[in-house]
Amino acid sequence: MIAARSRLDIWFWLTSALLGALALFLLYPILTVLSTSFTHKGGASGWAIFLSDPKYPAALFNTVLLGLAVTFFSALIGVPLAYVAARFDFPGKALIAVLPLTTLVVPEVIAAQTWLMMLGNNGLLTRSLADLGVALPSFYGWFGLITVMTFIYYTYVYIGTLAAIRGFDVHLEEAAQGLGTSPALSRWKVMVPVIMPAVLASCLLVFTLVAGNFAVATILGHRVPLLSVMTYQTFVSESGGDPVMQSTLASVSIALVAAVLFLQRWIVSRKRHEIVMGRGAKPTALRGLPAAALALAAALIVLVSLLPLATVIVGAFTFARGPVMQWGRWTTLNMERVFLNSPDPIINTLIYAAAATLLSVLVSTLASYLIVKKRNVLTPTLDYLSMLPLALSGTVIGIGLVMSFNTGWLTLTGTGLIIIVAYVVRRLPFGVRNASATLYNTPNSIEEASISLGVPPVVSFFKVVLPVMLPSVIAAAILVWTTTVAELSASIVVYSGGRETMPIQIYRLIDSNLMAQASAYGLVLVATILIPIIIATTIFKIDLFASK
Amino acid sequence: MAAITIDRVAVAYAEARVIEDLSFSIGDGQFFTLLGPSGCGKTTLLRALAGFLPVADGRILFGSTDVSRVPAHKRDVGMVFQDYALFPDKTVYDNVAYGLRARRIPEAEIRTRVGEHLERVGLSAFPDRPPAELSGGQRQRVALARALVIRPTLLLMDEPLSNLDAKLRVQVRETISGLQREAGITTVFVTHDQEEALAMSDRIGLMKRGKLEQVGPPAEIYRQPVSSYVADFVGGANILPVELTAPLSSGGTRGLMLGAAVIDATVPSALPAGKAFVIARPEDIAITEAAAGKTAIISRQYLGGVTHYRVGLGQELSVAVALHGPGHDRLEVGRMVSLAFDPVKTLVVAE
Repeated sequence: MIAARSRLDIWFWLTSALLGALALFLLYPILTVLSTSFTHKGGASGWAIFLSDPKYPAALFNTVLLGLAVTFFSALIGVPLAYVAARFDFPGKALIAVLPLTTLVVPEVIAAQTWLMMLGNNGLLTRSLADLGVALPSFYGWFGLITVMTFIYYTYVYIGTLAAIRGFDVHLEEAAQGLGTSPALSRWKVMVPVIMPAVLASCLLVFTLVAGNFAVATILGHRVPLLSVMTYQTFVSESGGDPVMQSTLASVSIALVAAVLFLQRWIVSRKRHEIVMGRGAKPTALRGLPAAALALAAALIVLVSLLPLATVIVGAFTFARGPVMQWGRWTTLNMERVFLNSPDPIINTLIYAAAATLLSVLVSTLASYLIVKKRNVLTPTLDYLSMLPLALSGTVIGIGLVMSFNTGWLTLTGTGLIIIVAYVVRRLPFGVRNASATLYNTPNSIEEASISLGVPPVVSFFKVVLPVMLPSVIAAAILVWTTTVAELSASIVVYSGGRETMPIQIYRLIDSNLMAQASAYGLVLVATILIPIIIATTIFKIDLFASK
Repeated sequence: MAAITIDRVAVAYAEARVIEDLSFSIGDGQFFTLLGPSGCGKTTLLRALAGFLPVADGRILFGSTDVSRVPAHKRDVGMVFQDYALFPDKTVYDNVAYGLRARRIPEAEIRTRVGEHLERVGLSAFPDRPPAELSGGQRQRVALARALVIRPTLLLMDEPLSNLDAKLRVQVRETISGLQREAGITTVFVTHDQEEALAMSDRIGLMKRGKLEQVGPPAEIYRQPVSSYVADFVGGANILPVELTAPLSSGGTRGLMLGAAVIDATVPSALPAGKAFVIARPEDIAITEAAAGKTAIISRQYLGGVTHYRVGLGQELSVAVALHGPGHDRLEVGRMVSLAFDPVKTLVVAE
């Protein structure tokens, strides 16, 4: 412990500086949103209006309903898939391993877009099936929302459950069987209670992601009013925005997500003693019909998950006349237009995301170093503050920033800086968690060894601690990059004309039904995400998910 | 190289004072061991000497220089850590050269000095290996070379042998002793292993709850423990409680009632009336076979060169006795014997 050193050393000042920055760019915007919701508009506070106009509670109700539905279906796919992957061997099982990557590689906006290209009013499948006399329900609404979100978010349940089943001590199950319970029953009685907290925790995570989702909700939710979309629409309404109502709606979504996160924490903490790490079961090799059935089912899920990727590639090279896709007629025109006529969204994305990634890695490395290795009276606050964005959807962060930095001594609205700030704030919890995990595994002694050999503390950090952290810092940087270039919900709130990023441009093209053009940007976006991942994992042999 | 003076030092974690009003000194070039159970404050004191913990009170002097307020990186101490603390991304050579580079010593001289020290610890064959490819003993020797190469004023070692297996521990112990004597660097060595302390030290400071219970050369600590705590911690001893009806003045031997027997013991320093302890090392008790003996052998453990016996002393008291020499294992359980305590080596002390 280096903790008891004098209280006013350089680490204390660095903590203060970081806290100041977080107070300014995170706490102040959130407090602005929360307090504005209590101000009055025409005699009534935002909360009074929220309760008196039925359209607002309806949006909240729809959001909760959608969250429950998507969570349910995600669990329905994710849990069995994880069980099958952990306990059985069958042909094509290796394919399932790529699943976690699909959510990372396919941005939500592209998932929504490509599903529309298949199942939208004008979609390829809709039309083919209509030719056969089968009428599908409209994809704009519950059907589309639940389908698309389920196929995005089930991977979270899958990953969480898989880890739990792999960590489950198979001896417990064997012990139950030894005591005279049948295999199926003992599994039910012994394994289910043990892995339940992990499954529940990942389900609640899915719920918060659905509640905060903007990309899919706004593209497919025309007929279903949802909280996130309504918040955004209130913000961009023609009258120049409605500060009171947008704040109220944002506050409702903060409250909703915060409540669910508290529930999640409670479940995890209450059940901690049951998370037994033991020897996982060896997968049973399957043959014949069961193997074929499992392989088919798993292949189907993987195929559907990869469908957006295939569609965006095909779409980018398909000839289109306005909104009409002429499938089978190939062209490079879409790509040419992207690179030659309007490359700005690409350039903007690269610049903002690069700056944000750099800043994010710096801030989260420093913050977690202070939190883990240089504890002082201020670091617990720093720890809590850095996790706060988990409770905030992108829309809320964006609105908070715009409301706080619209005028005054620090005017950021209309600059590229506000986009970068929004990105950094959104990715803060991920970066800090990631770096903290590495630091907890780095002994203090190497730093002390360096100091006692005559190197001052700060220099010691750069010379011996940072090199040890480097692989995980690079992995974190890549994950921050991939999620930042795909970011839509906060950037669409804070951006100004001429500063469109690729996701924003894709969103606007989808809105104008120009799917071929959207696909072309989509392809570039996917490449922007994939190339660093490929370079890192193949050339530098970095395990991206090592600390997750 | 310098003598070290610890002058009324107090060290605190947060608000709790772990060490209070501690004073002692270490001679120039001495190998000084801080010995004690975990939680006695020995590592805390070591970290205060290194500068990783501030002294709340008092002074620490290196030679005649007060270093109490000098930051760790300017104290010029070499430290060897329990977990080796080698820089995992640097080679053996770069680990050892690290402190010299920080001192901006010319690269040519660094090469000579690093080479020299790697040779001394027997690692000149792999300067380019990363620490991950070394065994535990090799890592510890790199750590030692890294601390010695800077020719520090003071060498600090924090339980450096505790992560090694028993055989290796003896080997590295000899390496450390040899190098320390050769370099003549004042050394503070922290351990909870009394055998290590006895084998390596010029002087031992035995700690108990943040205080020094006794300071002295190994033989003195072993032969003349000031309390039952010291006797018990160093070497192990029969510790038999006695009730003193009157105070005892120091010097000379007294007869004391222990169970059914009267034992003659030396009083090294004056004792008040009340509870005291008779201390007798197992090898300082002689057993003679006697049919008319009052006591019987309760158990026997044959250990090769020595046999340990437990012998009854009446009234639920028993003592451990160690016999060496020819026929040391000849006595059987149940045999009647009589015991003879060496009146000079048997002591009466406070708790």
